[in-house]
Amino acid sequence: MIKRILIANRGEIAHRIIKACRELNITSIAIYSEADKNALHVRRADEAYLIGNSPANESYLNKEKIIELAKKVNADAIHPGYGFLSENSEFIEMVENSGINFIGPSSKSVKLMGGKTDARDLMMKNNVPIVPGTTEPIYTIEEGKKIAKEIGYPIMLKAVAGGGGKGMRKIYNDDEFETAFQLASSESKKAFGNSSVYIEKYIENPKHIEVQILADKHGNYIHLFERECSVQRRHQKVIEEAPSISIDESIRERITQTSIQAAKACNYFNAGTIEFLLDKNKNFYFLEMNTRLQVEHPVTEMITGFDIVKEQIKIAEGNKLSIKQDDLKINGHAIECRVYAEDIDNNFSPSIGKITLHRLTSGPGIRIDRGIDISSDVPIYYDPMLAKVIAWGRTREESIERMKRALSEYQICGVTTNMPVFKWILNQDEFLDGSFDINFLEQKLMPLIPNKWRENLPEELENVITVVTALLKNEKKYFNSSSNSKEVKNKWRDLLYE
Amino acid sequence: MNEFIVTVNNKKKLVKILEENKVDIDGKVIQTSLQKISNNLISFLFGNKVYEIAINKNENEKTRFLIDGWYIDSVARTKIEETAFELQRNIEKQKHHSEIKAPMPGLILKIKKKVGEKVEIGEPVLILEAMKMENEIHSPATGIVKTINFKEGDSVEKNSIIMVIE
Repeated sequence: MIKRILIANRGEIAHRIIKACRELNITSIAIYSEADKNALHVRRADEAYLIGNSPANESYLNKEKIIELAKKVNADAIHPGYGFLSENSEFIEMVENSGINFIGPSSKSVKLMGGKTDARDLMMKNNVPIVPGTTEPIYTIEEGKKIAKEIGYPIMLKAVAGGGGKGMRKIYNDDEFETAFQLASSESKKAFGNSSVYIEKYIENPKHIEVQILADKHGNYIHLFERECSVQRRHQKVIEEAPSISIDESIRERITQTSIQAAKACNYFNAGTIEFLLDKNKNFYFLEMNTRLQVEHPVTEMITGFDIVKEQIKIAEGNKLSIKQDDLKINGHAIECRVYAEDIDNNFSPSIGKITLHRLTSGPGIRIDRGIDISSDVPIYYDPMLAKVIAWGRTREESIERMKRALSEYQICGVTTNMPVFKWILNQDEFLDGSFDINFLEQKLMPLIPNKWRENLPEELENVITVVTALLKNEKKYFNSSSNSKEVKNKWRDLLYE
Repeated sequence: MNEFIVTVNNKKKLVKILEENKVDIDGKVIQTSLQKISNNLISFLFGNKVYEIAINKNENEKTRFLIDGWYIDSVARTKIEETAFELQRNIEKQKHHSEIKAPMPGLILKIKKKVGEKVEIGEPVLILEAMKMENEIHSPATGIVKTINFKEGDSVEKNSIIMVIE
């Protein structure tokens, strides 16, 4: 029985895990860096310990400190969340060796699927279709050019140790190859400590479809259907939804069975996601496997009514899966919008500061997974994701309408967020009719930055703000000039803002 | 009666504050009532509709408001302040000077231009790393790079002047 879980993460996912712990009567142990002293996850956990200075490698990425602390506070298990050390096989092995339960897959599975060429090779040998390309790294430019010719340009040069959209380069022809190869190798070495690269065929305008799987330590595997995550910017997901409107029942049947095959091939247990690219002809190709809980897991939870995080804990305890494949059905439609502290018109640059106002939205079908609260800080050291707004509806249309409503009600002040951009996205034909692909935002939204994307801002709102600004300035002037007077009858005197 | 020139999304409007609860905006007279709910939240009656407005950020004289999920930036100046502002802007234009300031604290990863090189408006000139991401900074003007005050690998604070273009 797991009684005490140390959460090796921060922000909204730490908060999410705390909720699962609470529902299972498990003590949640939070760790925090200097910058996160006032963070929500620290306030919500049953116990909280300072793990180090603000930079990630002195805190959330410090393997030794985390395990040392876990032992010291008698944690039975560690949940790594996503990002940080969640897919670091070295860390997982250290946890395994320390006798602490790791809430996730084995270090072996993670290592196997972490090396992208080994993963492709394994998938190919297990009848999982992969994107045409090499299943081994390419070491020379000559070799690379030869393969590129065989596969056909354009090609993608990718880092073997990469993933999550990082360390990739598109090459159109032989002339570009040499420079691209050198740059990609050196960038990869800097980012991932490994300069090896491999080649994949570039798939034109694909969709990103992924499948959630769960497996226990007794060899039972199930899938929780798929998610579509094609709305991306620079390979980072912005909107995710479940189920996908781009596939029909027969593709669903094949892609989910293929995902289970993939999970079995690496002896997987716990939660994982198999990512695919779907081309224009509805063929799907294995892209990579994410051997951890994913950011977008809530949309799957909403359409199945099933709690993935609690199940992760039960699997780690050694229990068999608490549900059978036949028990799972798709109910309705769910969308998730990721709220980032970004200033859209300033080239999406990160916005840092202290949250001065935080008013959640609610109502039918709305769920918010968040890591911020009033007075919490948004520091510069970490990922700028603040919260996820999830909207469920009986139909996709209903979930979209609910999302629009929720986003206009959700108030966050103190930092600038990307929330207004969803007004644009959720009104585009391509999004509504499902014709969008992973290049949609780059091609259609980016040319409208700055300012042109919000041209339909109602004039009435501009007038309202115009008047309010004048009134506030007037009050400030009035107050300043009469600051010596003890009798100020005007009720607006309190309207001083910091 | 107080008058202000308010700039919202590059549009300027004249607002006259008449008696209590009445304003004149570009000639139209509207009934208003402003209530403070908290330090950052206002309930505002404009005509016959009530709006909830949040104050997101104040920077220098500019305020960023949040209304119905939209950000709207605005500045209100008295006529004198507005005249001074325009004058200052013209002087800046005369100087043919454009400063590239760091929009946030970070690490300079790459400087793409050299002193003396030509640069076009909108052209990417440097890469600043912050919050685990690489941010491309673009030139605000066309001209020649006059000075570069930092080198690759340096840390900068918000609003540090990194480059000057003439």
